[in-house]
Amino acid sequence: MSIEVLLNEFKEIAANPAKQLNDCKAAGKKAIGVLPYFAPEELVYAAGMMPFGIWGSNTKTINRSKEYCATFYCTIAQLALEMLLDGTMDQLDGIITPTICDTLRPMSQNFRVSMGDKMKVIFLAHPQNRAKEYGITFCMKQYGNIRKELEELKGSPISDEAILDAIKVYNKSRAARRKFVKLANEHCDVITPIKRSAVLKASYFMMKDVYTEKLEALNAELEKLPVCNWKGVKVVTSGIICDNPKLLQIFEDNNIAIAADDVAHESRMIRVDAPEEGDPMRALAQQFAMQDYDVLLYDPASEQNRRAEFVAQMVKDSGAQGLVLFMQQFCDPEEMEYPSFKKALDEADIPHIKLGVDQQMRDFGQASTAIQAFADVLSTR
Amino acid sequence: MSIYTMGIDVGSTSSKCVILKDGQEIVCKSLVASGTGTSGPDRAVAELLEKSGLKKEDMSYILATGYGRNSIDWVDQQMSELSCHARGAYHLFPEVHTVIDIGGQDVKVLQIENGAMVNFQMNDKCAAGTGRFLDVMARVLEVNVSDLAELGAKSTKKIGISSTCTVFAESEVISQLAQGSDKCDIINGIHHSIANRVAGLTHRVGVRDQLVMTGGVAQNSGVVKALEEELGHTILTSPITQYVGALGASLFAYQKALKK
Repeated sequence: MSIEVLLNEFKEIAANPAKQLNDCKAAGKKAIGVLPYFAPEELVYAAGMMPFGIWGSNTKTINRSKEYCATFYCTIAQLALEMLLDGTMDQLDGIITPTICDTLRPMSQNFRVSMGDKMKVIFLAHPQNRAKEYGITFCMKQYGNIRKELEELKGSPISDEAILDAIKVYNKSRAARRKFVKLANEHCDVITPIKRSAVLKASYFMMKDVYTEKLEALNAELEKLPVCNWKGVKVVTSGIICDNPKLLQIFEDNNIAIAADDVAHESRMIRVDAPEEGDPMRALAQQFAMQDYDVLLYDPASEQNRRAEFVAQMVKDSGAQGLVLFMQQFCDPEEMEYPSFKKALDEADIPHIKLGVDQQMRDFGQASTAIQAFADVLSTR
Repeated sequence: MSIYTMGIDVGSTSSKCVILKDGQEIVCKSLVASGTGTSGPDRAVAELLEKSGLKKEDMSYILATGYGRNSIDWVDQQMSELSCHARGAYHLFPEVHTVIDIGGQDVKVLQIENGAMVNFQMNDKCAAGTGRFLDVMARVLEVNVSDLAELGAKSTKKIGISSTCTVFAESEVISQLAQGSDKCDIINGIHHSIANRVAGLTHRVGVRDQLVMTGGVAQNSGVVKALEEELGHTILTSPITQYVGALGASLFAYQKALKK
């Protein structure tokens, strides 16, 4: 299949999650909504169900969720609830609600109360001290709860073998996405920011084996192309999510390619694989224990500013000239981290801009000005 | 034969145009107090051509800038107003290192090295510290925006307007009026409120002399003075401060024309 055809397929899937959900249900499969982030999707896959990513919406308007949410909750969380309340997600059989930040923690109870008997709401609390043995034990217990709840929905046990198989499928998928991210940098003339985003976003609305097969086909085609001689500028993107095509269009209009990303919705989800042998529940807990360099994760050595330096190094390694930080409105962890993040970038002589974003934005005039000016700055360096 | 270039700055509240001859001499300029989404840009261009006696075809290159730059599709190129303000300020003040541009709906602080913008900061999605803030306050106080500087200079007592949010600050001003505070004192407080907000943004970039202020709000000497006090630096302004973006655009247009 040609690159163009494959890219169009990813675009269609990313833009029409409702169709994917309908198709899944029409095929007789159960579907589980998975909220951001670090939930062990592998368990859902192992249960024979479809994990369905819920990362807010770029088109919905916050309305009914106002009944449950404080105004300072991020729009990702509020719009996730909105879609659960307005019928968009009625076909889901359940949701997994991680509590990885101070907004998602109370939101998990809003989800529980608002959904009532409508669907199963599966609570997940990750350990703060994830790498310690007691953290791994705690994580295994939490994942065990999810497994039990899914087994109830399934009506039969989920075998260890099925979970190990799911881990292999997910590791393969993560590897394919990491490869795609690298190829997207090498072929940024073909994989524009909008297309790059669509390819990665589609992974949330497909069974991972099907997705990976399609992505590997795309990677194979991209590998045949000569590495492009990009005349524009390249940046690394950072933030929780930046999947709005209108926002990404500004990048394209100003010849800005994305060399790599530190975006939770994109590469932060595919950095770490799970061990493929031994106790599968422990393997999944170990995978979470190995997660690092994320603004929402506890870092016992935070005074060393490791995460910011990691991202600064990413900018250099990827060949980018600068970084664009998409800061979600009301995201306390991101806002609190910013001074140390900026310090590391300044020390590494990496120019950056911080764009305040939320999923209710419909006009990007100010962002357009900032991005265009940033391209001017980078092109003169 | 002379090279004429045109710069059009379509702002959120006004449209400014400049025609430049050979990248040096301002032949003509025009300003219409209506910005993007209105007839302002067309009227500003029409007025400019009429006053100069030149035609669009006489222009070697036309460049649009400002918030509404993309709404003008007949120009040769569009460019961000940050780059154009940097270029225009450098033309007027060759020793400039910092530019503060307060426009109708946003604030930008630019760091300039050898005439090139190397860093910048913009305000978030908020009207605080912008020309819109002054418009709202002038309306509440029932005075003209152009009179704010003169009235603020008559202040004898310092009144603090602490809210950074335009809406809350408006309530605060109404409250001050209800308490019988003097309008001049309130206006002075408003100027310092803007200065405080803009100074915070400026410190993120860093201040290096020469410090130049551009944009429409630079015409308000009350804001300029308050900002000088906040920053502890002398601020330079130009009599054509509102045209600096359009001037920068016409200068970039000249560079492009030479490469044609």
